Amino acid sequence: MIATTKKPLAEVLAALEGHRRVALVGCDGCAKICLTGGADEVAALAQELKQNGLEVILEVTPERTCNVAKAKPALEPLTEQMQQADALMVLGCGGAVQITRHLTEQFGLTKPVKVGLNSVGHMDTVVPGSMAMEECSDCGECILNETGGICPVTRCAKSLLNGPCGGAEHGKCEVDPERDCAWVLIYSRLAALGELDRLKKYLEPKDYGKAARPRTLLFKEGRVA
Amino acid sequence: MKLTELFRQGKFVITSEVGPVKGCSRVNGGPPPEFIQEALNIKDYVHAVNVTDNQSAVMRLGSLAASLLLKQYGLEPIYQLTCRDRNRIALQSDLMSACTLGIDNVLCLTGDHIKLGDHVAAKAVFDVDSVQLLRIARGLNQGRDMVGNALTQPTNLALGAVVNPGFEPLDLQLLKMEKKIEQGAEFFQTQAVYDPKLFETFARRVESFSVPIQYGLVVIKSPKMAKYMNEHVSGITVPESLIKELESAPQGGLKAKAAEITLRLARQMGPMVQGIHFMPLGWSDIIPQVLEGLRGVVN
Repeated sequence: MIATTKKPLAEVLAALEGHRRVALVGCDGCAKICLTGGADEVAALAQELKQNGLEVILEVTPERTCNVAKAKPALEPLTEQMQQADALMVLGCGGAVQITRHLTEQFGLTKPVKVGLNSVGHMDTVVPGSMAMEECSDCGECILNETGGICPVTRCAKSLLNGPCGGAEHGKCEVDPERDCAWVLIYSRLAALGELDRLKKYLEPKDYGKAARPRTLLFKEGRVA
Repeated sequence: MKLTELFRQGKFVITSEVGPVKGCSRVNGGPPPEFIQEALNIKDYVHAVNVTDNQSAVMRLGSLAASLLLKQYGLEPIYQLTCRDRNRIALQSDLMSACTLGIDNVLCLTGDHIKLGDHVAAKAVFDVDSVQLLRIARGLNQGRDMVGNALTQPTNLALGAVVNPGFEPLDLQLLKMEKKIEQGAEFFQTQAVYDPKLFETFARRVESFSVPIQYGLVVIKSPKMAKYMNEHVSGITVPESLIKELESAPQGGLKAKAAEITLRLARQMGPMVQGIHFMPLGWSDIIPQVLEGLRGVVN
């Protein structure tokens, strides 16, 4: 899931300055899970915009706005309505915003597409409706087989690959005493699995070329370009 | 001179540490900056002096420039190099720069996290870790960069590393220490330890590693500082009994008490390893008397 948080209303209003008629586009995928851009949140923002003198001419929440296969059929029939809008405001991740922009361009619309959320990472929902955490950095070179299924690239504040720094105390990270030291977690997990020997293996520096942006995924070739 | 040479000669190696200032240190014939003076206080008493690298992620004068300055004043610097602010290109380049400028010793560290410092919005690098840095540095000593390209001239640096004997679980810390040795670490300095039993356990466990180790000792200057270290300095624990002892110091007697405690700890734990690394944090003037008290205890 791409996790998102809401931008403050003042920032949303500032982004829409000079635009009176607004089309609101949410996302029924990740943003719905994060309680930031599902149909309920789109309706709530519509209310707030109206209270601030704006006209909301459209509210739509595609199943997954970041996926053209879902967003296009949801938005294309609304092209005429979007044509009436001064701007689109998207309550979705940065990807949803840009897919919406791609689509408006395809539909022959030249409209500002604004964002009402901040994207805060690839996260996994741990407590439904309440909490998600970042466990994967999309590095392009997964080492979970070596580390007991716990990612040090993501969960160690320093992304260390060959064991902990000296800063952890009582199993907690030097950066945040509430956070578990990823390497203590990895150690405990590998100990439980009887695989502590894995920790003796030297791990080479990562090939960050595999994470160099922007990446393009070619599905059928199974290749990242 | 390389520290490794001193260890090879069987010397009990004494080092200290200075932190560069936050500011330019152009001397221009004037008096040396305070951190150099701090090192000059102990010039005749220590084998070498560590120069910290933007310690605690607080931006300061660079450790390479400060190391070179120490060298110009006749001190042997140990250039600390962290992975926090440099990617693999910068690390290799800085190692070659250090060697080119006459530095003989480098301490390879991960580095404190940016969140602990004064530029919390900075982008952390951590492109490689300290184990990988050691391997890279060893490669440069052998005349190759990390991707295998030949250097016109190899570096010639003694490679140091750090270990925290107070880490729990100790086994995990020792696994990393062994990796550091395998990848090129030639000597170790420990994180500050105040518990002789804990240090003894560590020293026994690492005896078979056959690598020289220096006991790390931060001079505790006041009860307040001890409490601050317990709360804010990662990886260091000052026992309550030591804090009480410092609190019992008479008015104006803190420095004498600090020297007394430093000597006692050095006498207890120094002999368990091959050297002592003092971190006096501005009180380097107590080091000569501490070393006087150590005479005969360590060779």
